[in-house]
Order: sequence, then structure tokens, then C-alpha cells
Amino acid sequence: MASSGMLTKFESKSSRAKGIAFHPKRPWILVSLHSSTIQLWDYRMGTLIDRFEEHDGPVRGIDFHKTQPLFVSAGDDYKIKVWSYQTRRCLFTLNGHLDYVRTVFFHHELPWIISCSDDQTIRIWNWQNRSLICTMTGHNHYVMCAQFHPKEDLVVSASLDQSVRVWDISGLRKKHSAPTSMSFEDQVARQNQQQTDMFGNTDAMVKFVLEGHDRGVNWVAFHPTAPHIVSAGDDRLVKLWRFSETKAWEVDTCRGHFQNATGCLFHPHQDLILSCGEDKTIRVWDSQKRTAVQSFKRENDRFWVIAAHPEINLFAAGHDNGVMVFKLERERPASTVHQNNLFFITKEKHVRSYDFQKNSESPTLLSLKRLGSAWVPPRTLSYNPAERSVLVTSPADGGSYELINLPRDGSGALEATDSKRGQGNSAIFVARNRFAVLNTASQTVDIKDLSNNTARSFKPPVGTTDIYFGGTGNLLIITPTAVHLYDIQQKKSIAELAVNGVKYVVWSNDGLHAALLSKHNVTIVTKTLEQVSTLHETIRIKSATWDDAGVLLYSTLNHIKYTLMNGDNGIVRTLDQTVYLVRVKGRNVYCLDRAAKPKVISIDPTEYRFKLSLVKRNYEEMLHIIKTSSLVGQSIISYLQKKGYPEIALQFVQDPATRFELAIECGNLDVAVEVAKELDRPALWKRVGDEALSHGNHQVVEMAYQKLKQFEKLSFLYLSTGDHSKLARMAKIAEHRGDFTARFQNALYLGEVEDRIQMFKEIDLYPLAYMTAKAHGLEEECQSILEVTGITEEQLTLPEFGAPLKQPQPVVPTYKANWPTKASSQSFFEKALAGQLEGLSLEEEPAAATNGFDELGDEDILTKKTAALEVEDDDDAAGWDLGDDIVPEADHDFVNVDSTEAGGAGSSEADLWARNSPLAADHVAGGSFESAMNLLNRQVGAVNFAPLKPRFLEIYQASKTYLPASAGLSPLVNYVRRTVDETDPRQVLPIIPRDLEHLASNDLQKGYDSMKSNKLEDGVQIFKGILRALLVNAVSAEGEVAEAKKLITSAAEYALAMSIEVTRRRLGTPDVVNASPDLTKRSLELSAYFTIPKIEVPHRQLALLNAMNLASRSKNLSSALSFANRMLANGGAPRLLENAKKVKAQAERNPHDAVEIEYDQFAEFEICAASYTPIYSGTPFEVCAFDGSKYHSKYKGTVCTICEVCEVGKKGSGLKFFA
Amino acid sequence: MDPYSAEGELVNIHNHFHQGQYQEVVDFDTSAFSAENALPARVLAHRARIALGQADDVIADVQGESDPELAAVGALAQFSLGKTDEAVKTIEELASSAGDNAVVQVMGGTVLQAAGRSEEALALLSQHSGNLDAVALITQIHLEQNRTDLALKEVRAARSWGQDSLLVNLAESWVGVRVGGDKYQQSFYVFEELAQAPATSSTLSLASQAVCELHLGRVEEAQSALELAIQKEPEYAEAIANLLVLTVVIGKDPTDLKAALQKAAPSHPFLTDLEEKSALFDKAAAKYSPKVSA
Repeated sequence: MASSGMLTKFESKSSRAKGIAFHPKRPWILVSLHSSTIQLWDYRMGTLIDRFEEHDGPVRGIDFHKTQPLFVSAGDDYKIKVWSYQTRRCLFTLNGHLDYVRTVFFHHELPWIISCSDDQTIRIWNWQNRSLICTMTGHNHYVMCAQFHPKEDLVVSASLDQSVRVWDISGLRKKHSAPTSMSFEDQVARQNQQQTDMFGNTDAMVKFVLEGHDRGVNWVAFHPTAPHIVSAGDDRLVKLWRFSETKAWEVDTCRGHFQNATGCLFHPHQDLILSCGEDKTIRVWDSQKRTAVQSFKRENDRFWVIAAHPEINLFAAGHDNGVMVFKLERERPASTVHQNNLFFITKEKHVRSYDFQKNSESPTLLSLKRLGSAWVPPRTLSYNPAERSVLVTSPADGGSYELINLPRDGSGALEATDSKRGQGNSAIFVARNRFAVLNTASQTVDIKDLSNNTARSFKPPVGTTDIYFGGTGNLLIITPTAVHLYDIQQKKSIAELAVNGVKYVVWSNDGLHAALLSKHNVTIVTKTLEQVSTLHETIRIKSATWDDAGVLLYSTLNHIKYTLMNGDNGIVRTLDQTVYLVRVKGRNVYCLDRAAKPKVISIDPTEYRFKLSLVKRNYEEMLHIIKTSSLVGQSIISYLQKKGYPEIALQFVQDPATRFELAIECGNLDVAVEVAKELDRPALWKRVGDEALSHGNHQVVEMAYQKLKQFEKLSFLYLSTGDHSKLARMAKIAEHRGDFTARFQNALYLGEVEDRIQMFKEIDLYPLAYMTAKAHGLEEECQSILEVTGITEEQLTLPEFGAPLKQPQPVVPTYKANWPTKASSQSFFEKALAGQLEGLSLEEEPAAATNGFDELGDEDILTKKTAALEVEDDDDAAGWDLGDDIVPEADHDFVNVDSTEAGGAGSSEADLWARNSPLAADHVAGGSFESAMNLLNRQVGAVNFAPLKPRFLEIYQASKTYLPASAGLSPLVNYVRRTVDETDPRQVLPIIPRDLEHLASNDLQKGYDSMKSNKLEDGVQIFKGILRALLVNAVSAEGEVAEAKKLITSAAEYALAMSIEVTRRRLGTPDVVNASPDLTKRSLELSAYFTIPKIEVPHRQLALLNAMNLASRSKNLSSALSFANRMLANGGAPRLLENAKKVKAQAERNPHDAVEIEYDQFAEFEICAASYTPIYSGTPFEVCAFDGSKYHSKYKGTVCTICEVCEVGKKGSGLKFFA
Repeated sequence: MDPYSAEGELVNIHNHFHQGQYQEVVDFDTSAFSAENALPARVLAHRARIALGQADDVIADVQGESDPELAAVGALAQFSLGKTDEAVKTIEELASSAGDNAVVQVMGGTVLQAAGRSEEALALLSQHSGNLDAVALITQIHLEQNRTDLALKEVRAARSWGQDSLLVNLAESWVGVRVGGDKYQQSFYVFEELAQAPATSSTLSLASQAVCELHLGRVEEAQSALELAIQKEPEYAEAIANLLVLTVVIGKDPTDLKAALQKAAPSHPFLTDLEEKSALFDKAAAKYSPKVSA
């Protein structure tokens, strides 16, 4: 019996808790206390939401209504109270019980409440009309508990009379669900009927009396779906009962409590029973096997009540000092991500994988049924991609781990076989061939290899609770107060960071950062454990995963949130159920839910991507986001403003007031003016004016002053910008307004003396007018003023005048344009938004697709040709005689190197190759050139090895690598194998460069190209090279031997064909050839022979074209006709055929040869590769044992002209390709 | 406490040396080392200098020193300058006078083995007591003698007491590359882990990683690792030699690389061996001739 596994989620401190009820939807729990208080807690936040204190004395029964915002309570004051938690008050009280009320419950669908009491009755109430509808009597002691059946019309009750009773209340339902069109009298009559109707039936009948407890029964509960009942009594037993339509019986007893059992219930989803008792324990029982699974003990507090959440895996128990909310097991499915695959363990303990790209779940890869105990799910999963193995830890048996290889082909639920296991609390892969195991009890970390042997072990820092991968060669070691970065090699902590209670570590995809998750904190650190940022969450943090761009998405109980490296965070979306994030990709978040099912949740990553690009100053990206998504909202704006990007925030704001503020803040006058015009409020214009003035933008200033009707300021502005015409207009305006001060001012600015004098006169200030006129020397004006006023000059005492005021003249016509404005605050970003930046293209450049076409065409032709070749070659390979194997001499007795114990040198792998293989190539690779030559001589009669030297050395050079080992010594020589998976020294074979596939896909194509491009001399060398490469080669499968032979034949034909044509061209220039009849004849013959070797059809067409043209030019029209006919028969390129048709038409008119040549177009013959003359069928000939080229008998014993290696006519055992 | 153990002062400098980070060894700040570790640190620095081709400096530095350690290092320096006989003579003297000295064993083993006297090298090295340097050397000598069985035995024994230390892993990997099969991959892990971590990466480990990849048939990866190594150290003979091998394996023309190797290390085993084989070919080919010459 393990005491681990129970996870306490919430605890409250209070007086004794007697009743508990979970809210079905919200994270709320009602607790009724012995002290007469009812508490409403949010167990997720750990806060007390409300208290309800109207009962007098202990409150024992409590229940939430399933759908309405109601709850019911009952206590020792005999009262049942129905409350609204919305209005936070008691709605009404049901009176009737005559003693303490023990429990109250709502019916799941009818407006009923069931209560039971020490008055020995069970009562059912209608809370809508607040009436008692049924009283059930029968128990003859206190009734401790009574509950409705969750679906059927049954009630179960428990009493201190030692019995459990099951009641049938279907009668009551019938009666009350009947149409309610009853008269008042009927209702009264029904009320008075009490329990018996006219047929003597009762509304509630005792169906079964279950006797078995020896003492009073404290609690009883129905199974949610099955016909089972569980009860707990003062006899310390928990009894399991079963019932059918007609009877009920005791099934089994769970023994274990050593004090009164006070509460019991069925687990809502699993085959488990939970019970609690005054022995201070909560016990979990397997309801199938009736064995104890778990127990949990409190030091001092007796348990009084236990309750289960109706939906989620959560329980609560009330004890002497409060309430605890807990769950029985971790719901986090063990999982791990590797590249595009998620590996996870299902509730059935099956290992599965999920492909993020295909969005598909694999079948079960492996079953872990036997790992740990049945009720303990595995805790962690670590995956090793290199070995395709998993490391699973389970808290069962004090912590254990198991290392299991996943089956290569995930077919069917395989039981784990060949697993390696051990004790340990955490186990993770730290390298592909090492894993680390932490044992918390002994405080050791073992580094183990894949065969489960401890390679090293060390003591981690004190109090280590968990270990995580810490980057190559490192571990992250978690203690309750700190995280250590631990170097495995040096066995020491190389960095330490004080973070409390870290539970999980999540590495970023690039391995540069990690997120340390504790219950309420996320700390982002670098790979060297330097803290980057940290954030606090009031809600529990469950999981996290990194976006590719370096944004951490994390999930709390009810949200997916994000945080950037700098700690800026926000909500991505809400969750209706808790999930564990495993991957984020684009708009999809992949996660596992609590049922261990992979889920894809779509999110809108715009906000965090935007913030990220802001942090990274990636303006293109921001621009893209702004343009493509509707990113608005106060949070973004205030975020941008706070971060000092008012100009960007401006792009999101619709509200003019905010827009104006932002525009002023970032100095964007255009926007400010625009908004100001829209709103047209003086305060705004004033600010625009001030701002514009500071920018030097006098045009906007002017507009602002105009709007504000600040004439003086306007005038001064015009003065300072030198705009006289406007000043004049201002003067006019002032005149209209009758504002003399302004008029005077403007006149002063404009130097309009007359105007001033006129104004003074108008306002009867003649002295001033006179003075002005006098000062400016306007004597006539003076006189007229004197006349008007009737005073003579003598009567006046005038002061001394200075020089008359000179009108200021503008130096620069500033008014025509703005001053150079304040350094532009327009960011790149704004410009881009305003479309001023050219070449900033949001769309990706279309891929340059112009010059790809030609090549593509060529390739196409090439492949077609290859295909054609292969078709043709099929026919040719059949005749090749493979010959019998001759065991080469080099196949000595095998010496087993491993068994020689004594000192002295062993034989190198190179020596082994020669022993292991009858192939010349392998001998060459091993450096035994003599034996290789010997083999070739025997197999194909090779005698002239000089041309093979490059090939020999090529193979030899590829055979060894040089592994630098100890300093000061030569590197260690190792031998490269083509049998990579082989370790048996008797089976290993060397790598042979330029194997069949390489030759066919490279050299052969080059040869074809040389044919096509008419570079025949190169072609001859290429095909001869192919032959030599094939002569010393190996294939990896028996089936390839035929292909190799085919390639030899083909290469030999090409080499021959090209050699013939090369020889013809060497006869001399066309002039020389035409001059000599002999040469002409030979030239025509050779051109005809060129058409004979079995080369690929398009190439043969070229040969035929060549021959046809030469023949027709030499008036050998009969031959030309035959070539033309052959060309037409072959078909192919229209241009060639056109040509052929023309020649044919021409030749048919006179089908005679002008030059007689040794070429019989009707006879069958082959070409001697030495003399280039026909070997007619029937005449004797010799062949090259390697390439099959034919020779007249007289060439027997010479070196083959095609391969240049073998002796003509020498019989061999046949070339071997496959060891 | 064993100064080379994980807790000791010498572990980092020692690891640097064996990871082929010779410059880091030379630059290593040993001023904080305790007195007893000063000499081993100096020996390591000298060995690193020799590996960097600065044997002259080493000889100048150890001139007149009486410590057998320094004398042994001096011998290695001489050897690396081609003064084979002198070096071997010094080592033979040291072997008889101070054969139990760990540095003498390792230096002596290196010199003797390099001089082709494997049995004597093994005899000297076998006197070691818990010295992983000696174990690594013994392993290498066994491998050079194609005694994979003995090398394997040596490594297994060392694994039991040497724990997971770098040299044991390296030696095991050397054996692994020889054994092949799954072991290629295992060895690859070790080298790759060293090569890919910036703190431990060196051209040596890159080349080693590439060798494993080449053996595993992963030529593209091997090629990029080797090219990276050459990029870091253009004259690094092992990288050039292995890239040369790789180039031949994939059927490309190795002429340029051969010239590069000729320049970097004219006496590289690849070149000497090839020359030898070329002569052998001519000799062997001369035995054959066609009956009728054309």
C-alpha cells in the first residue's frame, strides 16, 4: 500500500468541517462547519469567497444546486435553509424536522430536496413551492445520511439502527409530475393524504433493508452508473452492496479503518472506492478486488466527510481543522517531443506517438501494463531518437525507471520485452548513449549506459528533487530552492540560480534557453543558467512550450498565455479544460488533455508575434502583421505607448482623442491636425499650435491660430514670416472687428503711418495722430489735424523726435514654405505604412523561373534516353555466360584472430578482406594487388594491368580512414566497409568507390553526353574507364550482377562504335580523304561499321545520319538508301527523319554505289575490334572474356583493344561481382 | 586526491589536451594550481606545444632540467623533430631509471611506439598504475597491432575504474571504430558530442566525428564535418587525408586534396603508403604480359 500519489490541491484552516459540496462548474467548494458558519471557497485561487452565518449551531448538510445559483444547508437548529449565492442571502427556511438535520441534497432534475434527521425521518421537500412533499419513516434511530439515486427513482439511507435502506420513490414522482391543473381543494386533499393514496400505496416505499453493519451506519452512497451501494459505519467497515430489481445483497467488506468510518463514495470514473474515518485516514480501495490501493493519513485530524467532484478528478475531505481538496493521481500524461513527433503514454499505459505534420496518432507502440502498479500512472517519458528507446519513470515502488526499446515497426500493442529497469525517481537521457538516474532517497545521480551499467555516479547538491537535461554534458538539478547546472564530466555545479520550487524544465527549440516552471512562476534562463526574465501567475502553471521564434507559451489551469524573453506576457486564449502544451506551430497549439489525448487548439499568435517583432525591431514583420490582421485593442495601445512606440500605437487607434494624444506624443502633426479638424476643440488646436511651433511648422501654427482666432499671435507670426499680404489682411480684419489695438499693432507691423493716423483720428486721439504725423514728417496731415482740432502749432509743446520707425523688411520669404522642420520623428515603420518606402515588398519575390527551362528539357531527354537504353539492353544481357566459379587461391584457411591470446601483432582488416572475398576489387582494397591481378587473370584473362593502375589505386585510397588518436602517434588506420552493419571479421568487406549505381548515374551519362555532343575521343576514354571500373568492382546483391554485365556490354559497344568513328576521322581531312580512293573507301566502310554496334537508338541514329550523309556525298546511293531506311525504321526526331526521307527519295532514283565498299547491308556481321572489319556470321572469331568484344582469329593472344586489359581469346572463369 | 579526477585541478587542462584543443592547453591559466600540480600542468603544456609543432621551444625550456618528467617530454620533442635515435636513447635510460614515473611511461610509450618498437612501448606502459593516458596509449598500440581483442580488454578494464572519463570514452571509441557495426554509431556519439559543444570542439574531434560518419556511410555529413575542420585549420593533415579518402569514395577527383596533403604533411601515411602501393602495382603488373604483343 503506497501512501504516495495523493496530491493535495487546497487546504483550509477552520473549525471542524462537517459537510462539503463541490460546485459542478466553478472551482468552488462549500464547507459547512461545526461552528455554524458556511464557507464558500475558490479552491483554485485559494480564496474565501463568502461566508454565510444564519444557522444556529453546527451545520452538517450542504449541497449546491446543479444548475441554479442555489445551495441548501441544514443543521442542528432543525432548519433547512435555501440560499442564493448570487444575492448572498438565505431565500427561505424549511421547517419540519424535529431534531438535528444530518444531510441535505438536491434532486438532480426535480425541484426536490432530501433531508434526513435525528428525528428518524427522511423528508423530501419541494423547494419551488417550499413545501414538504414526503416523509419517510422506518428507521428506528438517527438517520445519518440519505441520498437520491443519480438517475433512478431511488433513495438510499443509512442509520444508526445499523441498517441501510433503499427506498422506491417512483410513486412520489408520478404524483408530482401529474398535470398540475388541480384545484385548490385537490391540493389540500393531497396534502392531507400524507403518504397513503387511495390504493394504499405509499409515495415512498422501503424497497430493501440492508443489514450487515454491526454498529451504526454513518454514510451511504450509490454508484454513479452501476447498481452498487457503498456504506461506512461505526463498525469501522466499508461495505459494498449490490441490488437488482428484486433483491439486494452484500458483496464484500473493506477492512482497514481502525476507528469509526465516517464517509465513503464511489470514484466517479474509476473502479475505486474512497472512504474516510475517525482514524485520521482517507483510504482508497479497488472496488473490483476490494483491496486497499492507497491510504493517506493526517497527524491530528479526524475525517468527518468526503465528497467527489461530479466532473473532474477531484475530491475533498472535511476534518477537525478544515477541508482538503485533493486528487488521487497526477493527470499529467507522461510525454516527450522529438522533432515532429510527440511520444506519450495513454491512460491505458500505452506508449503512442503523434505526428505534428500529419496530425495523426500512431497505433500503440508499446504497452507498459506491467510497469509499476495498476493505479499508478508513469510519471515521465524520455525518448532517445538515436536508439529509438524510451525511458519511463513511475512513482510506484518508491520510484522506478524502465529503459525499453520501441519496436521498429509500431504494429500492435506489444508488451515491453527486453526492458532494463532499476530504482530511481527521475531518469532522463543526457546523451544518446547515456542516461541519468536520480535516486532521491540516497541522493545520488547515476550516469548509466544503454546496457544499464552505471558509468559514473555522483552526489548531487543537497536536497535534489529532480533532474532535467541541461544541454550537452550537463544536467539541470532541481532542489527546492535552487536550480543547478551540473557538469557531468567535472562532477560539479557550474552555475546556480535561486528559484523556488521548480517542477518542470522546458528547453527552447534552439537549445539556447530554458523555461523553469514552478507552481506560480515561470523563469526563463539561458543555457548557462543566467536568468533572463521571470513572471508570476496567481493561477497554477501547468505546462509550457516554445514557439520557434523564441516566445514561450504556457498553460495555466484555464489559460494559454505567452511570455517573451523580456518578460512581456499576455493571454493567448482561455481554456475550458486543463491541457498540457507540447508544441506550437503557426496558429496551432498541440497539447495533451488529461485523458492523454492529443489535441490541437487554434490560437491567434498575432499579438505575441507583434510584440516579439517590436522587441526585435523587425519592422517589416510588424508592418505585415498590421496590414494583414485586425490588431486593435486598448492593451496593445497601452503596451506600445509604455514601450515608447507611440507612433506605432497610432496605427491601431480609432478613438480620435487617444489618436490625438499619441500623435502629439510622437510629433505626428498631420495626424494631429487631422484629428483636431475632426474634433475641432480649442484645447486641441492650442496643443497642435504649440507642438507645431516647436517643430517650426508655421503653416500648421497659422492654422491653429486661425482656428483659435488668436489674431495678435497670427499677426506676429505673419510679421516674423514676412508675410505682408496676410498682415494687411489682418489689419483689415482688425478694422472690421473694430479692435483698435489690433489695428494699431498691424499698422505698426506694416509701417502704415497713414492708417495709424487715420485710426487715431477715428478714436479722437488727435494729439497722438498729430504726433505720429509730425514724427513721420507728414506736414499736410499735421495741418489737417490742426485744422480739425482748431489748435495751432504754437500751442503745442513737442518732444524731440527720433528717426521715424522703419518698416522691417523680410530678408527671406519664409512664409512661402515651412522652416526646415524639427528632425523628422517618422520611423521607418511609419514611412512604410505611409507607403513611402519603395521596394519594401510584403510578398516574397517570385522564384526566378526563367532559366530553368532549358536544363529541364535536357534532363527530360536524358531520362528518356536512359529508359530507351534499358529497354534495349534487356535483350542483350541474356546471352552472357556467367561461367563456373573458381575458388580463388587467395581463399586461404581462415585464421581466427580473436582466439590468439598471446602478444604480437594480429592481421589487419585489409588482410581479412582478401581472405573473405573472391573479388579482385576486395583484394585491391586490402592492398594485395598480386592476388587481385591473379584473380583477374584467371577470371577474364587480364594481362595488361597498366591501364588498371588508376582504378587499383582509387580503390585502395578509399579503403582506409585516419582517426587521429593520441598526440604524437600516427593516426589510427581503420578500414572502410561496404558492409556497415557487419562486425564479424569473417564477413566484413571493403567499400569500393564508383560502384555500379555511381557508374550508371554518372560516368555512363557523361559517356552519352560525349556521344551527343560529338566528343568521341573523350567518349572512348569514358567508356573504357567504365569498363575498367567495372572490371574491378563489387555489387551489393546477387541481382545486380546482371545489371553490371549489361553495363559492361553496353560500354563495350559504345567504346567500339566510337573507336571506329574516331579511326575514320583520323584518316584525314575530308579533302585528303576524297583525294584518295583508298581512303574514301575506308572512310565509307568505317562510317558504315559505326552503325553496327548495339548502341542506344538515338545515338545509332546519329551514326546512321553520319553514314548516310557520307555515302550520299560519295554517290554511294545504295548504301545511303539502306541507312535512310534504317533511320526511318528507327523513328525519332522529325528533323532527322525529314533528312532521311530526302536522301531516300534522292537515292531511290539511282540506287547504285559509286564506290564499292566492304559492307553488305543485307548480311549479318559484327565488327572486329582490332581491325574494324566485318566478322560475318559463320566465320571463326575470338572474344575478350571481359567485355565480349569480337576479333578475327588472328588477333588471339593480343590485348583487347576495348578494355585494353584482357587477352583476346583467353578463356576465364568469368568475372565475379558478388562475394 | 587524483589530480586528474573530475574534482581535481588538472581535469580541464587534461581534457583540453585530449580533446585536441592544444592552444587552450598552452593558454591555460595554471597560476592558481597547487604546487604539486604545477609540474603535470607544465608537462601537458609542453606536450601541447609539441603537438602544435613548437618542439624547439620545449627543448629550450626543458634544457638542463633534472626532473625525469621534463626529460621525457624533451625526448618526445626531439623525436618530433626527427632525432629518433637520441630520443629513443633518452627514453631507454629513463625507462630503466624512472620506469614507474607516469609521464616517463606515457612519453616513452609514445616515442617507442612511434619508433616502431611496440613491444617495448607496451612493456614500459604496462607498469602504469591507474593512469588513463597510459591506458589510452596501450589501447592505441593494440589497435595498431590489429589486436582489437586486447584493446577491447584494456578499455573494459579501464571502464571499471576510470568511470566515464574522457579518455576512457575516447579509447572505447577508437576501439569502436575498429570493431564497427553498432559501435560506429556509439563512437560517433562520443566524438560528435565533443565536436559539437563549443567548449570541447576541436578539429581533432571534428575529424574523428567525420571518420565515424564515413564508416557509417554518411558521406555528406562526413564531408561537411571535414570541410569545417579544414576551414578551421587549413593545414590539418588528418582532415585533409580523410577528406581525400572521402572524395575517392564518392568517386570524385582527389588531385587537389592530394596536393594539399603533400603540402601539409609530406610524410603522411596516406602518401607514403600510396607510393609504396604504386611501386607494388608496377612490380606485380610486370609479371603479366599478353602472348602476342600488338
